[in-house]
Amino acid sequence: MNRFNKILSPLLQPLAAILVGLIAGAIAIAIAGGNIVETYSEMWKGAFGGFYFLTNTLARATPIMLIALGVALAFRSGFFNLGSEGQMVIGAITAAVIGLYMPGPGWLVSTAAIIAGAVAGGLWSAMAGFFDYRFRVNLLISTLLLNYVVVLFARYLVSYPLKDRTGSAGLNQTPMLDASVWLPKLFKGMPLHLGFIFAVIAAVLLYILLKRTVMGYEMRMIGGNPLFAVYGGVRRGSMMMTAMLFSGAFAGLAGAAEVLGTQYRYLDGALSSAGYAWTGIMAALLANSHPIGTAVAAIFLAALETGAMGVERNTEVPLEVGDIIQSVLILFISARLTYSFIKRRKGQNTDGTAV
Amino acid sequence: MLLQMDKITKKYGEFYANREIDFSLDKGEVHAVVGENGAGKTTLMRMLYGMEQPTSGTIRLHGKTIAFNSPLDAIRSGIGMVHQHFMLFPSFTVAENIVIGNEPSKIGTFDRKQAARIVEQLSEKYGMKVDPWAVVGECSPGIQQRVEILKVLYQGAEIIILDEPTGVLTPIEVGELLEAIKQLRKQGKSFIIISHKLHEVLDVADRITVLRDGKVTGMVGKEETDVNHLSRLMVGRELVELEKKPVQRGDKVLEVTDVTLRGNKGKHILDHVSFDVYGGEIVGIAGISGNGQSELLQIIAGLQQADSGRVAVNGTDTKNKNTRQIREQGLAHIPEDRYIWGANRSASVLDTGLMGHHRKLQKGGFLDFKRVRSMVSEWIAKYSIKAGDSLSTTSQYLSGGNLQKLIVARELAQGTPFLIAAEPTRGVDIGAMETIHTELLNKRDSGAGILLVSSELTEILKLSDRILVMYEGKIVGELTAKEATEEKIGLLMAGGA
Repeated sequence: MNRFNKILSPLLQPLAAILVGLIAGAIAIAIAGGNIVETYSEMWKGAFGGFYFLTNTLARATPIMLIALGVALAFRSGFFNLGSEGQMVIGAITAAVIGLYMPGPGWLVSTAAIIAGAVAGGLWSAMAGFFDYRFRVNLLISTLLLNYVVVLFARYLVSYPLKDRTGSAGLNQTPMLDASVWLPKLFKGMPLHLGFIFAVIAAVLLYILLKRTVMGYEMRMIGGNPLFAVYGGVRRGSMMMTAMLFSGAFAGLAGAAEVLGTQYRYLDGALSSAGYAWTGIMAALLANSHPIGTAVAAIFLAALETGAMGVERNTEVPLEVGDIIQSVLILFISARLTYSFIKRRKGQNTDGTAV
Repeated sequence: MLLQMDKITKKYGEFYANREIDFSLDKGEVHAVVGENGAGKTTLMRMLYGMEQPTSGTIRLHGKTIAFNSPLDAIRSGIGMVHQHFMLFPSFTVAENIVIGNEPSKIGTFDRKQAARIVEQLSEKYGMKVDPWAVVGECSPGIQQRVEILKVLYQGAEIIILDEPTGVLTPIEVGELLEAIKQLRKQGKSFIIISHKLHEVLDVADRITVLRDGKVTGMVGKEETDVNHLSRLMVGRELVELEKKPVQRGDKVLEVTDVTLRGNKGKHILDHVSFDVYGGEIVGIAGISGNGQSELLQIIAGLQQADSGRVAVNGTDTKNKNTRQIREQGLAHIPEDRYIWGANRSASVLDTGLMGHHRKLQKGGFLDFKRVRSMVSEWIAKYSIKAGDSLSTTSQYLSGGNLQKLIVARELAQGTPFLIAAEPTRGVDIGAMETIHTELLNKRDSGAGILLVSSELTEILKLSDRILVMYEGKIVGELTAKEATEEKIGLLMAGGA
């Protein structure tokens, strides 16, 4: 019974949030003049109805999962990494450059591109950590603003020096990567690629890191009570940089995998407009940064998006119904964050003698 | 009877915080409620003060059954409460703090002068001197407490509940408070005092109710009891006297030389503090909290930087060392505040217990959970820590006393030659206090040096081999265990020479 409770109780809040989100979506569907049951069944079909749709959803979930895991790692260590978008983009452009210009056999180039993408994302993120540690630049703000720097820089690169001049269209993008560099698809003719396996492995590794290792322990303690951690001999500065390094590496990997597995080039705005970074942050929040839960939440949020596309294809109800459900979820999550923040503020005044 | 509480029961889920408690109070009577932590004293008072509703039972005031939904109802019925932590606005004056809620006004604006006059009259009537124009934040805890009492008197309280009133006071202030209570009693006010300091209770109370595990284990008149009898009722068994072996001085484990720290306004928080601690002895630092002890400990532990001066742990300077390095030099630290420094509330008991041991109990970067579990389980058994049904219980669900025991166990187990013990028994019950004291003495006998800081004089006197007294950032006196008495220390603590 107790064991059952322990597994179930952390799930209660996200499930309640999802339920309310779906109810809000139902109201929106009704207002838009659609049939609720029909719309939701189309949504289900769009996300999971058939092998193609399932793999499509998982393919969309891949970058979201990786980003969400990175964000979750930072959250668990008590740091707010809002720079996933930039870290993903720098990973993507780095992977594209390596993929295009590095000589050697395809598998080697591909591997190097993936690693370089992750490293680039990690270093970019660790830089923000260093600024916080050394100069007390608020991490929340620096990670957020560094997004603009890297997104705009990548736009410059693909608009001028790296621009694909072969095609007729004036799109700002790099040339296409050689097919030998592409990440293999998991199933023939389906969009799902090897990146998904990376994401699943990443979730398991993160779980083990947090749960089982000394470093994970120190990260969790810093996240729970930094003063306690410092008192116990955890070095906050180096821990912050490590956490940010890993966190950014996950996002960089997401970007690299998108380039090598889906787009086969860096296309300006493709990663940003898909909103992977923000959906990823949401997934981490929704799952309270539990690694496995985060991966599941990422798939769920991706399914909402692919499902909404299905809705738009087959009914009169617009795509935005998916956004409405997501927005309600955000509202719920922020309500919970605010609540626990207030609780923490209040809690600081008790010394536990008032039993 | 002025106040009568009959068969009061309060259940939280399946847990009985109070079980069929009878309690009464006469006009002009002082009735003390004593008991260990978690015995249900505070719960009982919260129900009387309208902060909680009883599960069953009745409360009668002047013979009429009442049901308070909030403290406001209680205040209107003439019940006032002074909390353990003062609820005052530090940046406002004494008068402003007292009249709050019912301010005198002149054509719609707050009449400060009238407020001051009211406070002067109150102060005179009840024989409690205060300066109405003084800013509360600059008053001593003793004065602040007077302000709290005057506030409830101004609100028209006939019954005043004092929750652990002497916790933050100097011995002299305690005397003044007890005197004031006796004066007010003569004027017909009634008091309920929650306390665990039995000497004070015996001094001032007419009747004493003892609670244990949510039940009344005794209700006695002052004349029919003594300290031993009361502690037996509280703990439910006899207490053993501690035996102290003579000091076997070892090597110097701590050397503090000329440590100075300035505050924001350039005032000295620590003023050229120097002292040593040797292995095999317990050095106690007495002083009213806020005289620099916290900062001193943080500097020694590497949590804060001194402006100047030198600290050496086990013969090695700690300058520019982080907490990990200082711990590796041989420091363990029972921190002053268990929630701020001592634990991670949201982590499991296991995780909170692991801190500081986690780099030792590993295999290639992976924690060795088998050893960790057996280590923490051992402490739980040894210190009888009530930690729920498993080691994965979240730390915040432990009562303060149990968490304190966990922290003490963790730090003693670090096995270091030097230990800082700051308020090691704050908030723990008598039984646990006994265990902790015994363990600290064992640690000393095994050759370790202990720096003990406590606001409980009895604890300092009981454990220390040497006693340093701090006042306004300076060490104003050093006494050996033999020559130290409560009076001598009390005088030094208050700044007297």
